Amino acid sequence: MKESEIVDMVSRKLTPYILLLGLYLVSFGHLSPGGGFQGGAVLATGIIQLALARGVRATTRVFPLRRFSLVETAGFFLFLLIGTVGMLAGLSFLGIFLPTGTPGRIPSAGFIFFLNLIIGMKVAAGMSLICLTILKEQGT
Amino acid sequence: MGRQVKRALAIVLLAALAAVLFLTLDLGAAAPAALRDYLFERGSEETGSINLVSAIYLGYRVFDTLGETVVMLVSVMGVAAVLGEHG
Repeated sequence: MKESEIVDMVSRKLTPYILLLGLYLVSFGHLSPGGGFQGGAVLATGIIQLALARGVRATTRVFPLRRFSLVETAGFFLFLLIGTVGMLAGLSFLGIFLPTGTPGRIPSAGFIFFLNLIIGMKVAAGMSLICLTILKEQGT
Repeated sequence: MGRQVKRALAIVLLAALAAVLFLTLDLGAAAPAALRDYLFERGSEETGSINLVSAIYLGYRVFDTLGETVVMLVSVMGVAAVLGEHG
C-alpha cells in the first residue's frame, strides 16, 4: 500500500479520541443516546482505521487477534452468567435482579449498564476481528 | 413462451400483487398506541434507564439481544474458520 504522511499522522492522532467517544457511548448507554452496539461499532471504527492507515501487522502488535476472539467469547459467557444469576435470585432467566435505583443517576438501571459494557466490548472485538482478518487475507 | 412474454407476465403479476397489498394497507392503524404510551410512562421507572431504547433492548427485550450476540458470535466464528490461520 502506498505510504501517505497525512493519512498516517491523522489516523494516529484521531484514533484515541475515537476510542474515547466509543467508550463514552458504551458507558452512558442507559442515560443518553447510544448503547452497547453503537459504542462498540465506534470502537471498532477506531481500530479498523488504524489498520487501514498503518497496516494490519502494526495493528495486531497492539491489538492481538487472539485477544479479540477471547473477548468475543468471554462476552457471550458473561451475558449468559448475568442471565443465570437472575435465575439464582429467584426470578426468570435474565430477570432484573439488581435494584433499578433512581433513573438518571450514573449507577442506576440494574444490569443494563453491565450488559452495555459487555455488548460494547463484544461488538468492538467481533467487528475488528472480522475486518482485520479480511484485511490480512488481502495482504494490506 | 418467449423470454419477453415471460417477463411481461411477471411484471403484470407483481404489479397486481403490489396493488392488492397497497389497497389492504391501513395507514390509520391505532394498535401500537397503548404499548407506546405504556413504555413512555413506565419504561424508565421499571428498568431504571432514561434512554428508552436501552430500556427496551436491554430490559424488556433482553432475550432478543442474547440472540443477537449469538448471531455476532457465529459470524465471527465463520470468518475465523474460513480465513483465520489458527481456525
